[in-house]
Amino acid sequence: MNSEPVTALQLERIRPSDLPAPPREALQVVQACSDPAIDNPQLAELIERLPKLSAELLRLSNSSFFALRSQVKSIAHAVSLLGHRNLRNLSLCLAMRDAVREDAIPGLDLAAFWEDALRRGVAARLLAAEVGLDGDEAFTVGLLQDFGLLIGFYLRPDRSHEWACLRPLDPDARLQAERTLFGMTHAQIGQELARQWALPDDLAEVIGLHHAPVMTDLEPHVQSLCRLAQSADWLAAVYTADDSRGVIRRCRELLLAGWGLDTAATDALLERINQVMAEAAQAMNLPIEHQTGLGEIMRAANLRLAEDNLSFQEMTLELERALDERNRFAVELERELTLAREVQCSLMPRREVPRGQVIGVNHSARRLSGDFYDYFPTRNEQVYFAIADVSGKGMNAALLMAKASSLFHCLGKVVLDPSVLLATLNREIAESTIRGMFVTMIIGIYDVHSGQGKLANAGHLPALQAGPDGALREFPAQAPPLGVLPEGRFPAVEFDLTAGELYLFTDGLIEAEVQGAPLELEGLAALIRRERHLELEQRLHRIMGAVIPASGSPRDDLTLLAVDLTTSE
Amino acid sequence: MTHAEVNLDKGYAVVSLQGEIDLYSSPQARELILGCLEEGKPTLVDLSAVSYIDSSGVASLVEGLQKARANGLAFALIGVSEAAMNVLRLARLDTVFSIYSGIDACPAV
Repeated sequence: MNSEPVTALQLERIRPSDLPAPPREALQVVQACSDPAIDNPQLAELIERLPKLSAELLRLSNSSFFALRSQVKSIAHAVSLLGHRNLRNLSLCLAMRDAVREDAIPGLDLAAFWEDALRRGVAARLLAAEVGLDGDEAFTVGLLQDFGLLIGFYLRPDRSHEWACLRPLDPDARLQAERTLFGMTHAQIGQELARQWALPDDLAEVIGLHHAPVMTDLEPHVQSLCRLAQSADWLAAVYTADDSRGVIRRCRELLLAGWGLDTAATDALLERINQVMAEAAQAMNLPIEHQTGLGEIMRAANLRLAEDNLSFQEMTLELERALDERNRFAVELERELTLAREVQCSLMPRREVPRGQVIGVNHSARRLSGDFYDYFPTRNEQVYFAIADVSGKGMNAALLMAKASSLFHCLGKVVLDPSVLLATLNREIAESTIRGMFVTMIIGIYDVHSGQGKLANAGHLPALQAGPDGALREFPAQAPPLGVLPEGRFPAVEFDLTAGELYLFTDGLIEAEVQGAPLELEGLAALIRRERHLELEQRLHRIMGAVIPASGSPRDDLTLLAVDLTTSE
Repeated sequence: MTHAEVNLDKGYAVVSLQGEIDLYSSPQARELILGCLEEGKPTLVDLSAVSYIDSSGVASLVEGLQKARANGLAFALIGVSEAAMNVLRLARLDTVFSIYSGIDACPAV
């Protein structure tokens, strides 16, 4: 809508000369129809003097739209069949139709205006029939109710281009826009026109007041015509409004509240408007465009409904669906991880070792650990033990860990030398490793009787051996981790378990924060010395307890393995 | 990792890593290192500004080493910071990587 200031029309300033010339001959017939002193023959004589009006009245009377009981051959016949009141109305309709010439308002699509007016007339007529009111009178009211709008543009032809903006609005919005455009509504303009043209009072009132919210001081007959006009306005707007969905909904409300018609009846009535339009256009000799079917409009409205709702309902639904799916995946993943964790735990032993004991504790930061430990007796009274840490974390680390532990457990039964075993594992892992992943590992073996043994450290943190005097011996890495390069030697060093127990651990343990600082090797050594009076298993749990946060899981996988010869003796 | 960049110097591509090279930053380091090697460039990784490196960061270096060997390209670490060197030394990875004090100490390519 153009927002430039508009000089409002002022009713008192509208002079007769501003308005279109009144259709005097037709108005003469209209007045005659209302005059009780004029009888049928006199009325017929009057009309027959007006050949154009006569021809049109005959065509109207014989049209399928008005469907009189029998074929009408003469004006006299028409007058007697139609009665004065209907004759008056039809004459008025024809007169008004021709009151504004095609070229009077440049830029206004007059045909489209009359098409909309006709649709209101048809809607009013069909609704009237549905609720037991006079159909022909309703048609006249419907057809002429917005005539004021045409006059508005006639008075302000510079605004005629705005018609295209008004047309797709619903009746309420259109009324509002008219106030902006003209400073008054089509009803007010129409009423003024009716006064100046001396139209019959009942019609003037309907034209002037059909949008007034309360009309209690009107005659009941005029009141119901006003309500009819209003409903017809909305019904017709279904076919022109952009928001057809909103207008259809409003129609259903209006017809239910105002006329007791349910949704099905309203929709059927809407459908019927479309079907009857062609007949009505023929009867009134008005050109109309191709009519869009209600079905198509409903489909478009439903389509828009879907689009509107997509912003909220559909998105909510989509979100719920996505969350459900995520939850389902989470449950599945959780189940998979639990199973994987069970398999992983089964790779870590808890078995009796003859003479002495090996105890391991593992806490993983994630459910699946990249750490592992293992130990098992060999066939010649020896015990193999190992600890390892796979680079990285999570599923990929756990899978490589499973491979390394399986290789150790399987090959360890035949290869009794830690250096050879590590070299074999290294080749196997280097052959298939991806993304630079590697395994740091200590493998040791000892004789259960003598406590003599040797271990080899491939890139792992040093093993610690506690001496009787509290001193700790370190067994640092002598070779790089497994999987880095396929070749390489893994030298072993000897140890004597009778001198004290061995501790093997992963970096998660010494990097764990205790009182705000990493534990480090020194911290672990101090913990070992402090808890050495306890049984081995209790000692390990005490040490782990010191580094694992009271709540939540540790930041890294934590593994601690102790190898002791003496405690079980 | 606060920063990583690639420069060309003395015929080498030099990947400079800075800050913490951990599980979250190592993928970027990996991408840069492998990118240089895939272009067939002898590659140096400057670790002088690395304050911390975990096993996933080391894995990125190991992968670079493995790829360089497979493709017959030179690959070395330069200016290794003390923090990084401690990790490499502890795992005896200092015996695996070629390590130079800086680019000037590297053999010409």
